[in-house]
Amino acid sequence: MKRDPFVIIVAAMALTIMLVFGFHMARRKSNPIDKTGAQMKGQPAPEFTLQSLDGKTVHLADFRGKGVLLNFWATWCQPCKIEMPWFVQLQKQYGPQGLQVVGIAMDDASPEDIRKFAQDLGVNYPVLIGKEAIGDAYGGVPFMPETFYIGRDGKVVDKVVGLISRSEIEEDVKKALAQAVQAER
Amino acid sequence: MMKRQQPLAVQPSRARQQYHGWHNMIFRALIPLLLFTSQAVSQDLPGRKVPSVTMSPSPLTTVARGKPTDIDLRFHISPGFHVNSNKPNSEFLIPTALKINAPTDIVIGKLTYPPGQEQSFPFAPDEKLSVYSAEFSVGVVVHPLASVAPGKYMLHGELKYQACDNAACYPPKRLPVEFEVKVVKGPPARHHRNPGQSPHIHG
Repeated sequence: MKRDPFVIIVAAMALTIMLVFGFHMARRKSNPIDKTGAQMKGQPAPEFTLQSLDGKTVHLADFRGKGVLLNFWATWCQPCKIEMPWFVQLQKQYGPQGLQVVGIAMDDASPEDIRKFAQDLGVNYPVLIGKEAIGDAYGGVPFMPETFYIGRDGKVVDKVVGLISRSEIEEDVKKALAQAVQAER
Repeated sequence: MMKRQQPLAVQPSRARQQYHGWHNMIFRALIPLLLFTSQAVSQDLPGRKVPSVTMSPSPLTTVARGKPTDIDLRFHISPGFHVNSNKPNSEFLIPTALKINAPTDIVIGKLTYPPGQEQSFPFAPDEKLSVYSAEFSVGVVVHPLASVAPGKYMLHGELKYQACDNAACYPPKRLPVEFEVKVVKGPPARHHRNPGQSPHIHG
């Protein structure tokens, strides 16, 4: 039986498309927390255990009962550098009301460089050394900054990708704290 | 033979018409499938494009043995993104840097980067960053030593860059770079005569 080369090419293309799509979907399903910000809102923030710059083991659960601003950053990220001093101010301003800022450094720089960077910016909150697994747990973190606002009940209040203005960040902090207050009642 | 083929070309048989119709149908069915697949796969980065830096193909450059020659390598940055210049305004920012590995006896001299554009961005209107956007060139001095055999040589390297858009930054990347040079024999050395030997002086 003579085989039409066109049919073979079309069949190969269709098979390739199905394989690529199937592989992609399988990869998405294998990462159960591969969610967009909207999907994560109202969900419990993924738990983690990381080392801080001063060698302490830190769990997200350690901050239960506080509103958490969880910021993924890197030393090479200029927008991150712009917003970190704002976080310092917000930690001072809203810390007494229950805010805890937590930074997660997601770059390959040495802990010494990360420490120097944080010290230069006067960081007054814990900075943790990030791992790929935590990036995956929080949706991949393909670009920075990425910030999660977590209520006192441990649920995600909001997720912001990229830099926004200080006033917008402050609004998100207030929302997280307001929600925390409601959760306490 | 010719008489038989010509009418077939002008008036295709019914079987051939059905065959082409079937092909068209398959193509039409494949297009939405392709679109759906590409859309599904691209949902990894919802609402954001991924930056890319590419190098223009570099034409073959002729370089003479024993003579340094400047070669410009041109790079393009996808719209909406910028990369740090070679001299960013902060020690923590990753500079755009080219590294070339040359064959033995071809010396890579000075790399000349353009000055960065001093730009401020919406996230920090009061701060100027030194960046490249759209397009930039890096000058490479290629100096084949006298011992190099004439011929074509491919030079390889990489451009390290780190891109951002107006609100976010992307992890550093390395772009493979290559360009070809043709090494030829250098111009003959000039012989300087001693003016003191001129007969006019002694004459």
